[in-house]
Amino acid sequence: MNQFKRMAYPYVAWIAVMILAPMLMIVMYAFIEKGNDVTTFRFTISNFTKFFSDKVYIDVLYRSLYVAILTTIICLLIGYPTAYIISRAKPKHRTWLVLMITFPTWINMLVRTYAWLGILQDNGIVNTILGLFGIGTVKIIYTNFAVILGMVYNFVPFMILQIYSSLEKMDKSYIEAASDLGANKYQCFWRITFPMSLPGVISGITLVFLPAVSSFFIPKLLGGGQYVLIGNVIETQFLTAGNWSFGSAISLIMAIIIMISLYITRKLDTDPAAAKGGA
Amino acid sequence: MKKILPIALSALLLMTGCSGGGKTATEDPIEKYGSDKLKLFTWGEYLGENVISNFEKEYGVDVIVEYFDSNEMMYTKLQAGDAYDVIVPSDYMIQRLISEGSLQELDKSLIPNMDNLTDGVKNLAFDPDNTYSVPYFWGSVGIVYNKNNVPKDLIEEKGFEILRDTDYAGDIYMYDSERDSFMVALKALGYSMNTTDDAEIEEAYQWLLDLNSTMNPAYVTDEVIDNMMNGTKDIAVVYSGDATVILDENEDMDFFMPSEGTNIWCDSMCIPTNAENPLLAHEFINYILTYDASYDNSITVGYASTNDEVLNEIAENEYAENAAYLPRDGYDKDEVFEDNETMRQKLSQLWLKVKAQ
Amino acid sequence: MKEKKKIGSKIFMALMMIFFYAPIVYIIIFSLNSSRSLTHFDGFSLRWYEKMFSDRTMMQSIVYTIVIAVLATIISTIVGTITSIGLSKSKPILKKTVEQINNLPIMNPEIVTAIGLLMFFSALGAKKGFVTLLLAHIMFCIPYVMLSVMPKLRSLDANLADAAMDLGATPFQALTKVIVPQIMPGIVSGALIAFTMSFDDFVISYFVTGNGVSNISILVYTMSKRVNPSINALSTLVIFIITVALIIVNVIPIIKQKKEKRTR
Repeated sequence: MNQFKRMAYPYVAWIAVMILAPMLMIVMYAFIEKGNDVTTFRFTISNFTKFFSDKVYIDVLYRSLYVAILTTIICLLIGYPTAYIISRAKPKHRTWLVLMITFPTWINMLVRTYAWLGILQDNGIVNTILGLFGIGTVKIIYTNFAVILGMVYNFVPFMILQIYSSLEKMDKSYIEAASDLGANKYQCFWRITFPMSLPGVISGITLVFLPAVSSFFIPKLLGGGQYVLIGNVIETQFLTAGNWSFGSAISLIMAIIIMISLYITRKLDTDPAAAKGGA
Repeated sequence: MKKILPIALSALLLMTGCSGGGKTATEDPIEKYGSDKLKLFTWGEYLGENVISNFEKEYGVDVIVEYFDSNEMMYTKLQAGDAYDVIVPSDYMIQRLISEGSLQELDKSLIPNMDNLTDGVKNLAFDPDNTYSVPYFWGSVGIVYNKNNVPKDLIEEKGFEILRDTDYAGDIYMYDSERDSFMVALKALGYSMNTTDDAEIEEAYQWLLDLNSTMNPAYVTDEVIDNMMNGTKDIAVVYSGDATVILDENEDMDFFMPSEGTNIWCDSMCIPTNAENPLLAHEFINYILTYDASYDNSITVGYASTNDEVLNEIAENEYAENAAYLPRDGYDKDEVFEDNETMRQKLSQLWLKVKAQ
Repeated sequence: MKEKKKIGSKIFMALMMIFFYAPIVYIIIFSLNSSRSLTHFDGFSLRWYEKMFSDRTMMQSIVYTIVIAVLATIISTIVGTITSIGLSKSKPILKKTVEQINNLPIMNPEIVTAIGLLMFFSALGAKKGFVTLLLAHIMFCIPYVMLSVMPKLRSLDANLADAAMDLGATPFQALTKVIVPQIMPGIVSGALIAFTMSFDDFVISYFVTGNGVSNISILVYTMSKRVNPSINALSTLVIFIITVALIIVNVIPIIKQKKEKRTR
């Protein structure tokens, strides 16, 4: 067992350089006064107080969290059944189904989002079809619905993949045993299948929520510039306003919020097998 | 099998890399300029179809082009120390770069074609003698509107205030840029768009808030072009060059520059101080100002040329009926943007509040 | 009862597939549009393909995107899997710390990671280009691989590897013949996600690359002015390439099998 643990060391060295060092630079920026030069060093928490003192930023933060949570929930609701159905399919079908789900994700996200823009536009495909039924133009673009649709579309494959990989190699004998002992289908699912797939669910939630909360392109395109999320604010700070310090500070605030929510989610994953050493 | 892959990949790269830049020049570029590579950093979709390949053939060099979609993005990369030979920033950004000492003074003896420049781009406030920059494209900001749904005299009467006309609520596009939107508000209120007066800015802020709450505008950037080409909405704030393309594709659309004045902008070619191939850079700038290159650029992109001959040629022929091509020249209420850091931060914050409301 | 369920599932999957492929079909159709419009189809034309093939930058960006994605995926999958296995046998503290650090690139807005790397590379005086791009991609791909592999390791029966070694297997054999096959779904889905993240990446790539190396996303983003239909042509080409690659990957084993059958 000891030999195995040494396998982790090279990577630990790598992340110290490639992940921590850049992050430290960001943290440094968050605590200094405006100005893109690192030489103008003035330790201050003004960037943080600026954020919390203005209601507008808090509003934007709430909205971002709302969108991200809603996206995650919907991804879970449609992702889990999809993963489940695939895991029950014939083995040779499964690979194909997984591939078919992943395939669209390899097409550039910007291009796919532009495609949705065209489809949902006031004079786009959806409205043209509705027009055939005599329904007037439905304004979909620049609404919450369009943004959530775009986000879910972009992230649900990740959710599906995570849950699927949990379900796929699950030991089916547990379920057989349970039904032999008299459990019905519902009980089998909720008491055995679901809990055993929980690690996959948790990492699926992580893979969806985290990028969702900081995305800016999809809300910008499908919701319009007026749909401002925290990702947009950070992007503006770094690019347009040139205020790297403030941008870094907001990122840190977001990072902390996310870490807290992740911590809570991890607590939910009370897998007894994980509590024991080793795994 | 394993060996085939890397060989195939490198072959593929070589093929795509070699399909351009056939060297048929008469002089050896390395002897003349010290290098045969030029690094150009410019706006996406700002080049004519054959501009780069013609330059490469004529001078026997390779041009590496990188793109940006906003001045600030360009600035960020420059800050990180990336060395480019020619960059094409906008007026206010040039002002900023000059003040920071990031641009080198141009050797005008190497750019004789500067004589081709049209009057409208000479003596612009950010670089009056063209010491650091040579104009590439210029234009204005105006209103594109649907002739069938918006009467011309109404627009002429209201100017930018048409954007607050509730008859068109839900039917307008605003440009998602604080700089341009505040410009619209300030001009509508009769103030200078470069004002630093807090009261005026506050008024403009209220103007925008009012617009946002009563008109339900859509804030877009380049999507406005495609949308107006399809007539998705009736009124939009658009850059003149984009408007040229819209009007060209959609006969129902027309372009209007308000009497309150608007923003005249100019994107110019500059050479950063850390450029590695300044001699070649000068040659390139000179080349862009030739008739052929200028024409190719202007006709492909739709933006107004800075070459006087080309400008007049296109304005009188291809785009004779197009109200958007020729920028308004010499109108005293039209202004060029000035760079001001405090204002930039302030407007940025206010803009966020306008949108997030 | 079973019939109902089967039909229900099939309908559900069909709807999902329509949802997933609606934009894809749209992209393909509009890449053949004779006009510039992205909402009105005005007739068939290959002009956007002509435009795309004659654009050297576009063609190069496709190659770079694929090369980087493939390399980054392979490297990050191998490193990620090895590290995950190593961590599963390490002290919980180390594991938790690494997990937290791994979360940083995933959870940070991409612009933050991008600027962080930009500053970092500049501070080192590194010349930006292919290498910095590849390093950055590996950096953000590995956490995704680990995120995929770790849950599988947790559900793994820890004793199997021990049992194998007790029976005389070397650690390497225990690794490759016992552990890896069991966590394979996690490795595969991790690799898939890594590939996707790399293939599609824009923000980070934009800031860490240089020297004319660009990928498809950068090109698409900076071409947003007229939402050039060539972008759709580009995407359709990518769709075509991937489809062909997938077919080759799936058909070759079948051909091999047939050959083996014949030689028997």
